[in-house]
Amino acid sequence: MITKTKTHIDRGTFTITFQRTFAAPREDVFDAWTDPEQIKHWWDPTGAPLAGCEVDLRPGGAFRFTMASDHAPPFTGVYRVVERPAQLVFDAMGGVGTVRLEADAGTTRMVVTIRCTSAEHLDQFVQRGVDAGTDQTLDNLGAHIARSRKAR
Amino acid sequence: MNGPPLDHVFAALADPTRRAILARLAEGEATVSELARPFGLAQPTISKHLRVLEQAGFIEQGRDAQRRPRRLVVGGPLRDVDVWLQPFRAQWERRFDALDALLQRKQQKAKRTRGLKGTPR
Repeated sequence: MITKTKTHIDRGTFTITFQRTFAAPREDVFDAWTDPEQIKHWWDPTGAPLAGCEVDLRPGGAFRFTMASDHAPPFTGVYRVVERPAQLVFDAMGGVGTVRLEADAGTTRMVVTIRCTSAEHLDQFVQRGVDAGTDQTLDNLGAHIARSRKAR
Repeated sequence: MNGPPLDHVFAALADPTRRAILARLAEGEATVSELARPFGLAQPTISKHLRVLEQAGFIEQGRDAQRRPRRLVVGGPLRDVDVWLQPFRAQWERRFDALDALLQRKQQKAKRTRGLKGTPR
């Protein structure tokens, strides 16, 4: 698998870090993270648009992303820091998420950190992702099998 | 894949104490009593966990016959932990791929709009 996202899991600080560069200005990346109409189109890893997306974009404001599939519970939280276009910090699922955007020669380097409260919390977080990913893989496999059956 | 089946590897990793033991051994070899101390567990309990890890091919006994320290197996199934994390990584990769696609569409749209207005480059 070719990955464009650098993932680092640090069990010592209970932190997951994703790093990725986009060929777009910081403002566009920030807006994609904060405008419900845009979030809808990328948040669900299955590629389906979100069934619901509520965003109260201010420190103390709540958000709620509801996926169309029932693989995962809604992603809910509260914004802490809203600094367009450099930084977004939010509390979610018992941890703290940070999106940092740095301009780099016309591109944007995005660093997303998820800080959990303990090693166990980190494990739970990863496990949920693994489970969701596995479910999805199984779904894809099911769809693939159904297709190849039809083809026969 | 050579070595123990992935099922054993997953089962061995499914326990937080065993994952913590692996994290400790990643820093260097340790004896059973050294491992038992930070977890506040009885030695037989630790020994049981160590057996599971040993059978899954994660750890082995060090050279010192007296202290019988345990250590990580170089090139052991810990490499495959990455395989275990694959769905998690893939989930975020897909998410950010979609974000990338959205941003690209936006850039193209902006370019087209500029083109329609006849703005020189």
